[in-house]
Amino acid sequence: MSTTPAKPEDLRVGVFVCHCGLNIAGTVDVHAVAEYARTIPDVVFVKENRYTCADPGQEEIRKAIRDQKLNRVVIAACSPRMHEPTFRRTVSEAGLNPFLYEMANIREFASWCHQNDPAAATERAKDSVRMAVAKARLMQPLQTIEVPVTNKALIIGGGIAGMNAALDLAEQGFKVFMLENSQSIGGHMAALDKTFPTLDCSICIEGPKMVDCARHPNIKIFANSNLIKVDGYIGNFKAKIRKNPRYVIPEKCTGCGECKDACPIEYPNEWDMNLGTRKAISVPFDQTVPLIYSINRDYCIECFKCTEVCGERQAIDFNQKAEEVDLEVGAIIVSTGFDVYEPYDMPLLGYGKYPNVITSMEFERLILAAGPTGGKVIRQSDGQKPHRIAFIQCVGSRDKQHYPYCSNFCCMYTLKHVVQLKEKYKEDVEVYVFYMDIRSPGKGYEEFYDRARERGVNFIRGRVSRIDEDPATHNLTVHSEDSLLGQPIEVEADMVVLATAAVPKKGSDEIARILNLSRDANGFFMEAHPKLKPMDAPTDGVFFAGACAGLKDIPYSVSQGSGAASRAATVISKTKWKIEPIISIVDESKCKKCGVCVDKCPYGAIRQDEGKPAQIITASCHGCGTCVAECPQHAITQMHFTDAQIMAQIRAALQDKPEEKILAILCNWCSYAGADLAGISRFDYPASVRAIRVMCSGRVAREFVLEALRLGAGMVLVGACHLPYDCHYISGNYKMKDRTDALKNMLTKLGMSPERFRVEYVSAAEGIRYAEVIKEIDEQRKALGKEKIQAENAKLKPILENMLKRK
Amino acid sequence: MPLKTLKKDTADALTLEWILQVKNYKLILDRKRCVGCQICTVACPKEAIKTLKQPKIEGSKALKAKVDIDLSKCNFCGICDVTCPFGAIKVNLNGKHDLAVLTKESYPQLVKDIAVDTKVCPKDCVACESTCPLALIKVSKVGFDGKPVEDLSDLTPNEKKRVQITVDVQKENCPTCKVCEVKCPANAIKIKKTFQGKTTVNQQKCPDGCHDCLDVCPITGALELGEDKKVHVDETSCIFCGACKNVCPVEDALVVKRTKVAHSPVHSGTWNKALEKITSLEDASKELEAQAAHNRLVVIEKRFQAEALKTEDYR
Repeated sequence: MSTTPAKPEDLRVGVFVCHCGLNIAGTVDVHAVAEYARTIPDVVFVKENRYTCADPGQEEIRKAIRDQKLNRVVIAACSPRMHEPTFRRTVSEAGLNPFLYEMANIREFASWCHQNDPAAATERAKDSVRMAVAKARLMQPLQTIEVPVTNKALIIGGGIAGMNAALDLAEQGFKVFMLENSQSIGGHMAALDKTFPTLDCSICIEGPKMVDCARHPNIKIFANSNLIKVDGYIGNFKAKIRKNPRYVIPEKCTGCGECKDACPIEYPNEWDMNLGTRKAISVPFDQTVPLIYSINRDYCIECFKCTEVCGERQAIDFNQKAEEVDLEVGAIIVSTGFDVYEPYDMPLLGYGKYPNVITSMEFERLILAAGPTGGKVIRQSDGQKPHRIAFIQCVGSRDKQHYPYCSNFCCMYTLKHVVQLKEKYKEDVEVYVFYMDIRSPGKGYEEFYDRARERGVNFIRGRVSRIDEDPATHNLTVHSEDSLLGQPIEVEADMVVLATAAVPKKGSDEIARILNLSRDANGFFMEAHPKLKPMDAPTDGVFFAGACAGLKDIPYSVSQGSGAASRAATVISKTKWKIEPIISIVDESKCKKCGVCVDKCPYGAIRQDEGKPAQIITASCHGCGTCVAECPQHAITQMHFTDAQIMAQIRAALQDKPEEKILAILCNWCSYAGADLAGISRFDYPASVRAIRVMCSGRVAREFVLEALRLGAGMVLVGACHLPYDCHYISGNYKMKDRTDALKNMLTKLGMSPERFRVEYVSAAEGIRYAEVIKEIDEQRKALGKEKIQAENAKLKPILENMLKRK
Repeated sequence: MPLKTLKKDTADALTLEWILQVKNYKLILDRKRCVGCQICTVACPKEAIKTLKQPKIEGSKALKAKVDIDLSKCNFCGICDVTCPFGAIKVNLNGKHDLAVLTKESYPQLVKDIAVDTKVCPKDCVACESTCPLALIKVSKVGFDGKPVEDLSDLTPNEKKRVQITVDVQKENCPTCKVCEVKCPANAIKIKKTFQGKTTVNQQKCPDGCHDCLDVCPITGALELGEDKKVHVDETSCIFCGACKNVCPVEDALVVKRTKVAHSPVHSGTWNKALEKITSLEDASKELEAQAAHNRLVVIEKRFQAEALKTEDYR
């Protein structure tokens, strides 16, 4: 395998021009192109093929590489999006590195789209071959990178989604570490009384799962622990966690609870929504897993009664310190869940002021038999049972001033609460629900809504404007509008339950920072693609399950738990993970440690420690090239798409009559594909365009545009994926937009006609649009006229030369 | 309703509250009974209490130190309630004064050994009632017919003999100053001080004519301004609370040392720490040593059938 970089004198380029039957030969004069190719410097061998991709065609290429000792190959045929992988294989079978071959697109980009002008099509084809050779000269051999994989997984967050993922992975034979920052796994579901629509007792169905996790030989639970740091990349994550001290030795604690009985101090129990208390040494709830007691030193008075009663077991250790543990895993699943919004900042509803206004979660703890009131729904003000209860929906949700989104499960859990109330207290309680919409889309959910209505619950469609309290009785008056009747309505209630919004879990911003995850405008984690990759984080090897990436109910969370386990298994079931070598590398000698690249990388794949040059984590680099274009020092190089290679293509493209050309730089996934589609659909457009392929529009450096204009280009077009979500590399197009907006500003100020530099967003489905855009640009070019363009270029040239010289 | 934590500070009382759904913790500090002594401050296991010196206005009496409690640190354990010699703090749960620190034996009861033998009381004596500096004693007389008697002058000597005297002492507020014992003409009262210690005035450092400590001392007569314009301490009635020390303008002019605290037996880490802060490290260790020695003896006695060891040599 010839792997040493060839010196210019040693270059032996072979060009293979394909007829593709009549697909190319029908319009393009293939023979003329082949003849032209022979005249290009460094080309030592040219062959025409009928069908290059067919076996005979491929065999010819292999034969030529061997016989002619070719060290660079150019195939002028169809789109690289079609057959690049095919010919990469052909070339490597002949013993040549697959990254030493380039494709010139003369079918979709010449033959098919300029059928009305064969001569121009042939010219374009010739130029394409010249551009391909120009790039091929500068290509370097590259090896596919293989990284070993640790066959273990880390699951952050031990709620129902995380537990499900853990069990699925453990059952497949993988070792799983579960990290939970509270003292018990189980999450919010463990705090619920019943689940909708089945009215199953929540902890009864979740408890066995929790115990399964604790008992499973492949699962190790780190409860009462925090995530400190994660280094590494897919297959090779190194996570550091801190086990916070419980002051109880886990191995010795039997969970008997005698210490709790001996303890004199109690404090409000957060797990109980602060409705009840727990002792200074206690577990948050009786079914805690792992069943190990903890001492809250903020309240403990250190009387040591617990130590006394624990006696010989000696499970209590007041000197226990935090412990740091290092874990090596191949994949990480984030399932941190959600928090409940407490509407202290909505004063008109009286939460926090009026004792009988509570949130739904607090109501859940009241009606729960194991709760602080033993299952009796009673008012805080007088301990009496309420006879009229009003439920208010969308408190904080669907509210532009608080949380604009719908919190997904509140309609359903309110329906559950009202059904529970009616079934428990029957006619003794009058129930009102103030709603905007009742959203009950799941399986059995609409029937559950029917059930609530059949029980005689009063549903009032209207927003609540205000709640007043009678200071003597602490009864409440709910002011609303019955919008279906079109009349204001006032309802007096003994208790009001607010169905408040669910918000991202406190501490998820820390997780986002540690794992380099992006969050959406509402603070929930962003998945790689909302439709097709709902459980993948943009960072390779990190997956999401449950409400942390978007609120969801229990069945959906459980499904995602299994889904994330499957996604993680695709990584950790392998022994090696392959990474395509089209990645970027930092030249440390040029790096000025400014940190711009760290900021701009959509994947957080770049690390720059204080005072050290930036480092790109190879396995996390997706090859968009944004960092290359952003680096002010030009210290970063993208393999296979280097600045030199692209510049060479630009120069080759604009060699003859540049002012008549449109230089287009198109991103592989959207605009290039759209251009391909224009050809496939046989949409005709002017042949003045010369296209260069990059992986992402984020790769387009200012210098490309400047150089094109310096060389006298007529028009310059940058093609990109649509904003906001289409970019294959998440946000490369945004970074390009910022760059090119500023660039366009500058160029127009320097005297360039604004229409000469254009950024266009074309999706892979917009073939016709691409054709129209080129038509439009060409019309504008003709309208400006050759002289004007040349004049503007002449004026710009010295300024541009100055700018480019500094590089 | 979510947890409500409240703090209300008035001239009469400082109130702290935790209001939960079915539990209501309340701490009430009676500012009239509080003397600003600082014993609660040192006893508090969470260091939630501060005693702040109040600025003195020239020409008027010195103000007693003001107690403030940090709501975010207080865990309503009630140790301040138990330790306050004046019973100025009350901690309630749902209105009941049942302190878990006492029932679970995490803290001892302070012993207020006050015994009044009413049988020897002179029938028309109200010396204790009139001399108690905190007005905690009430003498009531009940005649042979069970009805309360006010004036003894119109009773026959026989009826007078059969009058029964009851002396009610508000024990929880009594700091055991022993003034009543001293002033009782019939030796009817026997009191053991809860706090034992030593209060000394450095005569050189004590500023002439300054009576700040006298202004705040709750026990009349414990401190006196002598003819030499210096303060003198009457150790019998001093209760070693330290209210005087908190207002003394000169450092080290007034030294209040507590050495012993009378309390019910208890085995608790909190008490060990509190005792150390109320008295001193040496005094606390002495008590621990004494307790340990006692425990050792008990163990040995049990083990070796004590009788044989009940000789003077081993005690």
